[in-house]
Amino acid sequence: MIPNEPRGAGRAAALALPLLMWACALGAAHASPAAGETLYRRGLLPSGEPVRAVREAGASMQGLDAACVNCHRRSGLGSSEGRITIPPISGRYLFAPQGKRLEELGIPFVDTARLNHEPYTDATLAGAIREGSGASGRPLNYLMPRYQIDDAAMGELIAYLKGMTVGPAPGASASVLHFATIITPDADPVKRRGMLDVMNKYFIDKNGAVARTKAPTLYSSHTMMFRVERRWQLHVWELTGAAATWGAQLRQHLAAEPVFAVVSGLGGSNWEPVHRFCEQQSLPCLFPNVEAPAGNDDDFYSVYFSRGVLLEAQLIARQLAEAGEPIRRVVQVFRAGDVGEKAARDLQALRGGSGQQIVNRVLKAHGSVQELGAALREVGSADALVLWLRPEDLDSLERVPVRTSRVWISGEMGGLERAPLPASWRAATRMAYPVDLPGQRVVRVDYALSWFRIRKIPLVAQQVQVDTYLACGLVSETLSHMVDAFVRDYLMERVEMALDHRALTGYYPRLTLAPGQRFASKGGYMVRFTDPQGTKVAALGDWITP
Amino acid sequence: MKVRTAGAVTAALVCASVLVTAVAAVPVARSTVTYETPAVTLIREDGKRVSLARELDDGRPVLLNFIFTTCSSICPLTSRTLEEFQRKLGSEAARVHLMSISIDPEQDTPARLTEYARKFHAGPEWQYYTGTVAASLAAQRAFDVYRGEKMSHTPVTLMRAAPGEPWLRIEGFVTPDELLDDYRNLLASLGSPARASR
Repeated sequence: MIPNEPRGAGRAAALALPLLMWACALGAAHASPAAGETLYRRGLLPSGEPVRAVREAGASMQGLDAACVNCHRRSGLGSSEGRITIPPISGRYLFAPQGKRLEELGIPFVDTARLNHEPYTDATLAGAIREGSGASGRPLNYLMPRYQIDDAAMGELIAYLKGMTVGPAPGASASVLHFATIITPDADPVKRRGMLDVMNKYFIDKNGAVARTKAPTLYSSHTMMFRVERRWQLHVWELTGAAATWGAQLRQHLAAEPVFAVVSGLGGSNWEPVHRFCEQQSLPCLFPNVEAPAGNDDDFYSVYFSRGVLLEAQLIARQLAEAGEPIRRVVQVFRAGDVGEKAARDLQALRGGSGQQIVNRVLKAHGSVQELGAALREVGSADALVLWLRPEDLDSLERVPVRTSRVWISGEMGGLERAPLPASWRAATRMAYPVDLPGQRVVRVDYALSWFRIRKIPLVAQQVQVDTYLACGLVSETLSHMVDAFVRDYLMERVEMALDHRALTGYYPRLTLAPGQRFASKGGYMVRFTDPQGTKVAALGDWITP
Repeated sequence: MKVRTAGAVTAALVCASVLVTAVAAVPVARSTVTYETPAVTLIREDGKRVSLARELDDGRPVLLNFIFTTCSSICPLTSRTLEEFQRKLGSEAARVHLMSISIDPEQDTPARLTEYARKFHAGPEWQYYTGTVAASLAAQRAFDVYRGEKMSHTPVTLMRAAPGEPWLRIEGFVTPDELLDDYRNLLASLGSPARASR
C-alpha cells in the first residue's frame, strides 16, 4: 500500500520535489490521449502492463478491475450507486474554481459534481490518484483506489482527463436536439408507417411543450429550464441498396445531419451494419424494434429492448434440451433473408454437440405455399419441427398435415397471440413468446394505446408502436435527468439508470440495463393456444431466462 | 425484522467499529437483528434448486451479502472483501458458509455467477444464488436490503453464528480485517455469560 502523504503545509513542502521531477518528466514525454484512454478504460499502462492499485485497507486490484471507467464511467461524468456519489473527473470539473456555480462557469450541470474543494492542479490530482487525498488534503472515499502510476503514465492519464469533452455533442445545438431513426430497405412497410406515425407525433407534442418555455431575462429557476429545453428534430435515414453499402450511407447521413442519438430503427435479417455504425461513430442508438439484433453485451452504444428472435432461439433450444422423450432430429424451416435464418443458425449452434441432428429447410424469400408443404413432407412423428415463419406462411399451414406433436413457432415473427395458426396445428405447437402475457401487460400498454387514440394515430403494428412510444419516453425522461450535459456517452449511462426506474415498460415485464448489459428484457414465456380459434394463449410454465 | 439494542457482543463490536472507522474514514454501522427467513427457492450457481432456509441453516456460521455481477463500483469491493476474508481464514474457511444472492437474477444466470465466483476465487464454502425475480426480492426484503432497484443498493454484510441466533448486520464498507474480528467476536459470544443470561 502506498503510504499517505503528510497533510497541510508539511504536505506541500513534501510534494515540492516530486512535483518538480514530475513536471520535468511531463515536459519530456509527449502525452497522448490514446495512452491515457487505454489506462482510463482498460486499466493498462503505456507499457501494456496492467495498472496496480490498492485500497486503504490493503485490498489490491489490477488491470480492468482497477480501471477508472468502472466508477467514473466512460463519460467521465461520474455516477451514483446507493448513497455513494462518484464525482465527475472530466478536467473541466476537477480544475474548476471553488465556490462557483457550474452555470456561471459554463460547465454542464451534473448532479454528482461538487465544487466545494480547491481546484485540482496536476500535482494534487496526481496525489489524489496515487495517495487518495483530495485537492484540499482530505482523504477520498474508501472506494477510491490508490494507484501505482509513474510520472509518464500519470501525464498521459491527466492529459486524457483534461481532453474529455463535456459537450455539447454534435446534434445538440443551443436550441435543437437532433435525432435520427434508421430504416433499412427490407423493413416491413406497415411497421415503418406505424413507427414513424408515433415518432412524428411524439416530436410534435414534445416541441409544443418546449415552445411554452420562454427565455428568462434574469437568473431564476427558469434559467436552468432554458438551458435544458431544446426543440426535438427527427431525421429519417432510409437506407437503400445492398447491406454492404449501408455503413457508408449512414456515415454520409451523419455528416450531413449530425444527430445526438438514434431513436428506434427498423430492419430485417441484417442489423450488423447499423450496429457497427453506432459503435464506430460512438453514437447512442436505442433500438426498441429490432427483431434480430447484432452485437453483444460488451458493446456500448446500442441498446435493444430484447434479443428478439435470437432470444427465442435460446428459449426453444432449452426446450429441445429438456424434452422428456429424446429428440433425434430437429427440422427448422425459414425463408431466405428473413430474421428466422439468423435465429435458426443460432439455435443450430446452441444445440451443437447435443447429438440432435439439425436439418434446415430454406424456403425462397417469396416462395409459394406448395414449397412450404414440400419442405414439411419428410417430417416424421419422431422429429421436432421449428418454424421461423411469418403470419402468411403460418396461415397456409391449413393445407399441410401435422406430422409431429413437437412443433415450435416464433412469436416474434408469427405475430404473438395474433398468429394465424390453423386449428389443426394448435395442439402440437408451442410458441416462443419473448414478451409479457397479454393479460399481464395490458395496464402497461394501455397508456400508450390511449395516447395513440387521442392523437388519432392508426394502430397498424401494435407492439412496434407501443415500444417506439416507450423508447421516445425513455429518451425524454433520461434527458431531463441529464439537464444540459449533452454528452453522448453520458446519455448511454443515464439510459441504463433511467430504465430501471420505469413503471411503464410496454410489452415487457421488466427492462433493466447496467454497464455490460445491452439487452433490456432478458427472458420470455413458452405459450400454447388454448382454443382452436382466437388469440387466447396460456403460458406453459414460468417466465424463462435462458 | 427485529432490531435489538446492544448486548455484550454488539457493545464490543461497536467499540471495534469506531476504531476501525477512524482508520478507514468510512462509517460502518453495526446492529444486531433477527430476521425471518422467507420460504423461497433459489438456484445455486451449480444449477441446483435449493431452499434458502436450508442453505442458511446448514449448521455452519453464515456470512450473507447481496450482489449483481455487472455492478461496477460497490460489489467488486464487497466481493473482494469476502475473498480476502476467506483467504485470511485459511483452513478454517471450510467451517463457515459464505452466501451471495444476486439482486439482478435475470441477468445473473448460474453460468455468469460461476464466472463471477471464479474471478473472486470463491472456495467451496462460498456459494452464489440466483432465481426468479420474485424469489430474489423476497430474500432482499426479508433481510432489509431492498432499495427499489439494483443501482440503489448499499453495501450490507450479514453474519450469523449459528441457526436460530440473531444476525449481526454490518452496513458500509467493512475491511477484511474488521470482518474477521466481527466473525471471531460473534463466535466467541456464542458461549459468553452475557448471551447465556439473555
